[in-house]
Amino acid sequence: MALTVVGASHHTAPLDVRERFAHDIRGALDAAAALVRAGAREAVLLSTCNRTEFYLVDEEGTRAADALAVLSTRLGADASSYTYVRRGQEAAAHLFRVAAGMDSMVLGEAQIHGQVRDAWEHGRAHAGPVLNRLFQSALLVAGRVRSETALGRGAASVSSAAVQLAKQIFGSLVGRRAMVLGAGEMAELALESLASEGVRASIVANRSLERAQALASRFGAVAVHWDECWSSLPLVDVLLCSTSAPHPVVGVPQLALAARGGRPLCVLDVALPRDVDPAVRELEAVYLYDLDDLQAVVGASLEARRAELPSAEQLIGGEVRRYWDWLAGLAAVPVLTEVRAEAERLRQREVAEALRRLGPATAEQRAAVEQLSRALMNKFLHAPSVRLRAAAAEGRGLAMAEAARYLFALDREAAPDDGAGARAPEHVPVPTHASGLAHDEEHE
Amino acid sequence: MVHVAHALAVLCYAGAAALAAAPFARPMAAPLRGVLALLAGGVGAHVAALGAVGLSQGQVPLTGLGPALSFAGMVLALNLLVVEAAAREVTMTLAAAPLAALCTAAALAIGFRPVLTAQGARAVWLDSHIALSFLGIGALATAAAAGAMYLVERRELKARRFGAILRFFPPLETLDRVNHVAAVTGWLVLTLGVVLAVTYSAEYEAVEAHKLVWALAAWLGASALAIGRLLGWWRARRAALLSGMTFVAVVVLYVALRVVAAERGQFL
Repeated sequence: MALTVVGASHHTAPLDVRERFAHDIRGALDAAAALVRAGAREAVLLSTCNRTEFYLVDEEGTRAADALAVLSTRLGADASSYTYVRRGQEAAAHLFRVAAGMDSMVLGEAQIHGQVRDAWEHGRAHAGPVLNRLFQSALLVAGRVRSETALGRGAASVSSAAVQLAKQIFGSLVGRRAMVLGAGEMAELALESLASEGVRASIVANRSLERAQALASRFGAVAVHWDECWSSLPLVDVLLCSTSAPHPVVGVPQLALAARGGRPLCVLDVALPRDVDPAVRELEAVYLYDLDDLQAVVGASLEARRAELPSAEQLIGGEVRRYWDWLAGLAAVPVLTEVRAEAERLRQREVAEALRRLGPATAEQRAAVEQLSRALMNKFLHAPSVRLRAAAAEGRGLAMAEAARYLFALDREAAPDDGAGARAPEHVPVPTHASGLAHDEEHE
Repeated sequence: MVHVAHALAVLCYAGAAALAAAPFARPMAAPLRGVLALLAGGVGAHVAALGAVGLSQGQVPLTGLGPALSFAGMVLALNLLVVEAAAREVTMTLAAAPLAALCTAAALAIGFRPVLTAQGARAVWLDSHIALSFLGIGALATAAAAGAMYLVERRELKARRFGAILRFFPPLETLDRVNHVAAVTGWLVLTLGVVLAVTYSAEYEAVEAHKLVWALAAWLGASALAIGRLLGWWRARRAALLSGMTFVAVVVLYVALRVVAAERGQFL
């Protein structure tokens, strides 16, 4: 049983390639079904705008080629140069990092958590115990990373930086009022972020009243002509500027005249060139931030997030160990079955040989020989079986399973002189991946 | 027991301040639970210590410089614990916990010898006055701490420096609100304490000029701050500056009066 991830992400593939790899929900389900039909035990496809990854469980770890073939078919060329393959614990750790946003384009972003959950929930038809547990663990550890580290804290985009600065001044933004100057795309994005925090867009002012009305109607605001907006300035808490004017349109006179009783005014200038005269910073309760400032907030947040990576990696490492211990317990079950099957095969062969040598025997004598052999086999296997189960429960199942495979000659390649004759290995044994010997192939 | 418990309280307050400062040294989540646990532990040890002092002296440990400082430290730490638990913040601890530790450590160094041994109703009257006055001054200290933090954060926001202070300080308006509530509450409580003091002095003819000067000055400062806030004369930066100046003036005046006018051990 081998766990493998085959995929491409923003680290390895450009956007036009990622676009071709991307699957919708139906396509992801079909692709997973095809891989299961081809021989994989379990398959789940995670497809977002930044990554397409097949999570596979099969007997030998050879189904990675099938997944690669799916990607190559979509690309119309060999996809191996854009993809990576991770196996065993590295595959588990990879999904855990992905779910926690540690592998995302914007470090620590939260959206991927929901995307991983959706991929698993939509793909459960082709997921079994190994992948179900893997995705559950991934979502769990991602939640822990978000709550126990500061990896998801702070602003990671210009619009969220605008929200963060406004919140640093006002605290909760629920019920705060905003005035928007200009009706550009940046203003709309920033206003969306502010509105999601409870800010009410009261007034949209623009030289073109039509565009102002279009934006105002989206946010339940009043559209006014540019010249009429200044009288409303004392009523608002946030002033969002995004006009296409070639020179500053908001200066000290407009803001100084607004009698605000000392209440703070957060001015967010997201226009290029800037709309607001930097001299307004000298006004007592005016906090002015332009695009450079917002970028600086983002930079500081991302730096703080990067500093959290070691703590997050510690959590990931612990969860990978726990998952792998569980998987080891699962791996012990087929080994036990194989050991008993092999012992039974030998017992039957030896009983038949003994009865042949004995010559004619009564039914009672035959039954006695059968019972003796069966009792001996059970007694010999009892202690190893109990110990292997106990070791699996303690998280040492993989090492013990490996030892059992070797001692009982289940892995014929590992015991060439056991007299049973060489036999080609039927599968890659789990311990090969589990003991840290996993291959990590990057095709970049 | 008294000294060990006081020392434990000092360690807890200092530890809480150090823990609250940790996010400024390296990026990490605000250690709210740890800070609250240390503050609660410190307040617990402090209450036990003051209880032991009270039991050994047979009176509430409010009179005498040592007991008074210790009580002030405990009130400040208790205020802080309540504010931080309510606001789910740790940054106030940065300013106020060292002050509580300093008061307590000074009390420990001075000793816990009581001064007055009033009995019966007179003792209750006197103790109520002292306790209310401490609560009022404690609230004034809280307003000053919030004001100081407001000024630091405002400077950072104005200068567009987006470092640890931006990440871990409460919003400006929250600090302004804490300043407002603490200033008004402190003024009301201090007013009640002063009324009790005036009536006590009239009843028992126990007027001391230096105490009168300090009480009036502290009350006038607190009144100016609170009334100005209530009437909207000052808010934000002005209120922060004024609360800090008022608190510093009250402390400086107290020290000056102790030095020039008060007989050691007779004033607080």
